[in-house]
Amino acid sequence: MSFKRLFIITALLLGLSLILGACSSGAAPTSAPAEPAQEQAQPTTAPAQPAAEQVTITVWDYYGESSPIVPIVEAFEAANPNIKVQVEALDWDSTLEKLNVVMTGGTPPDVVTLDMTWLPTFAPLGAFTDLNQFAQGKLNGVPLDKAYSPGALKAMSYNDQMLAMLYDFDVYALYYRADIFEEMGLDVPTTWDELMAVGKKLGEAGKGQYAVMPDTFHAAQFIYENGGSILNEDNTAAAFNQPEGVEAVSFYANLPQEGAGYVWSFEEGWEITPGLKDGRIAMFSDGPYYMGILKDAAPEMEGQWKVAVHPYSKQPGSYLGGTGLVIPAKAEHPDAAWKFIEFAMTKENQIGVFENAGAAPALLEALQSDEVNAPDPYFGNQRTLEVFLKAMDTARPFPYVRAWNQIDEIFTSTMEEILFGGADVKEALDAAAEAVNDALSSQ
Amino acid sequence: MSSVRSSRQRRIRQYGIGYAFIAAPVLAGVIFLLIPMVTTLVWSFTRFNGLQPPQFVGLDNYARLFSHDRIFIKALWNTTRFTILGMLIGPTLGLLTALMLNQKVKFQTFYRTAYFLPVMTSLVVVATIWRMLYNKHGLLNLALGVLGIEPIRWLSDPHWALFSIVIASVWQGFGFETVIFLAALQGIPQTLYEAAALDGANAWQRFRHVTLPALRPVLLFIYIIGIIGSFQVFDQVFVMTSGGPANSTITLVYYLYSKFMDLRLGYASAIAYVLFGILMIFSYLQWRFFTEKD
Repeated sequence: MSFKRLFIITALLLGLSLILGACSSGAAPTSAPAEPAQEQAQPTTAPAQPAAEQVTITVWDYYGESSPIVPIVEAFEAANPNIKVQVEALDWDSTLEKLNVVMTGGTPPDVVTLDMTWLPTFAPLGAFTDLNQFAQGKLNGVPLDKAYSPGALKAMSYNDQMLAMLYDFDVYALYYRADIFEEMGLDVPTTWDELMAVGKKLGEAGKGQYAVMPDTFHAAQFIYENGGSILNEDNTAAAFNQPEGVEAVSFYANLPQEGAGYVWSFEEGWEITPGLKDGRIAMFSDGPYYMGILKDAAPEMEGQWKVAVHPYSKQPGSYLGGTGLVIPAKAEHPDAAWKFIEFAMTKENQIGVFENAGAAPALLEALQSDEVNAPDPYFGNQRTLEVFLKAMDTARPFPYVRAWNQIDEIFTSTMEEILFGGADVKEALDAAAEAVNDALSSQ
Repeated sequence: MSSVRSSRQRRIRQYGIGYAFIAAPVLAGVIFLLIPMVTTLVWSFTRFNGLQPPQFVGLDNYARLFSHDRIFIKALWNTTRFTILGMLIGPTLGLLTALMLNQKVKFQTFYRTAYFLPVMTSLVVVATIWRMLYNKHGLLNLALGVLGIEPIRWLSDPHWALFSIVIASVWQGFGFETVIFLAALQGIPQTLYEAAALDGANAWQRFRHVTLPALRPVLLFIYIIGIIGSFQVFDQVFVMTSGGPANSTITLVYYLYSKFMDLRLGYASAIAYVLFGILMIFSYLQWRFFTEKD
């Protein structure tokens, strides 16, 4: 029968496309091999241990094209002739998925670039090595509390352990259209009331509004700024439905209703860049990494944007995240991995994070260096990282509880109910708190 | 003795090659299907994060799914709605297209290929394109604007989002149904239509009493394959909405995936087995109907 034959052909085609699809999604290892013979011929670089065993460490790198990891491999191998580095280039989107797979059933890599928002899932499970056993309180000879800001140290710690070395950091600050502000004679808002007033004026003039997004990062910022928090002090119950939280979310949800905010929904793309380019958005809150995105996506807007500390009602606030370098507990060569991490954390290589990836280095010495702090012509010769560094003082990481992913999902969908579905703020947050408490009690 | 041995040798020689041929697929089936299936079943009775040893919890995961987990119930409901909507629109559209193509139109092969093209396109690509069409300032809303209709927030309005995904999925899949219906239509003997026409049957009666009965096995095949496929919907949701807004497009497989990403492997396994149970029912129905016919 002809349809049977057709069906078989279709099935074969579908099967083939599946196989091809599966093949193409594999990670492409971009190893940086150096000939062993040549290395052994250079005994001067490591005279103390010429007969030591050769090890190869695997480093997962999610930076992609603009990797700050790849350029340091050669120098690292030259300084450590016994260690070879194989860098696996991944992209941010698929890294967590692959990490879940190798952590649960495979051979994990020795060093991983980890988005700090992934840490809550892994930390309580003992998935990563306590780096303090190598560091002993010091990084490249500098005491950790001198190397990092207090907020960064808090983000790296879980209970008494040090699970990550913060490699670049992420805190939110206000991006605003300095050219429009000047043209309309507006001052940069420092309080919520001013934010509302400025947003309204901009909106009425058709000059773009403040971007409102239904995610935990942005909503949490308003809650923190109003003296509230996501969970209570000992992370045992939801706190976002306390009066401070309800007030903060109400204010946030009110911005678009008053004409001061523009609700950015994901059907317009996961990134708000199109809205920045076509003038719908004149103010938004995001991290230092967005400076790089802005420069890439909108080079023609040079000189139009500036950054400032995000306006607040009671105190400045932001989540604190970024990229951490971690060593999985089951890594084969943790000692060599630590050497690589220390090497990646030197001042010079931290400056490379800024120069290659456009991200904000986490090491204070690098942050305050001239290379990183040079006036940025794209931002009207502003010293932008000063703003983010200031924001870091009051920023805090999301709570490290096993149920964090669930909490994030519950909170995000609640914000969607409020912003897209028109739900009552207090009722929606109370219902979300109930769900969060349930998740916390059964984690 | 010797005759027994020689006959056994002969049998080995006769069937040995056959067994050798099926050994590879059987082994692959055991390694890649049977072992994971049994492991998953065992895991579904445990709390397991993949890093620490699993803890046996009996039927807790299943009990929690149905008594406690509102998102799971929502996912179950969304998946059912997705399936019903898709099965109402998809095969109907496929049959109508096939009927039109069967009218001896010019360039029939061209149309057939054209309708089938989306089926061969990767779902992720299709979903990405549709996400662009659904953009607030995308083509669809532009077209609505010309007609004087307010733009629709296709993907961020909780009331619309699931339906938007259904439309994109139907567009991607109905070419498959068209081609199968067309093949079946062309297999119906012309004599039946001539006899019906001689008896004075009009076009509708010919369709109702000749075409439809002849298509019944194909219809059954389409619906059952379609239902099984719909219950496993994932790619479109992953690309277009990630289950949002406010969980309005979360489906069973997407929820399972999110539990895997959260390293709740026991719980995810339980979801997998609930889905497995549902699919088994439909597969059983398919088996019953098909064995009866042949």
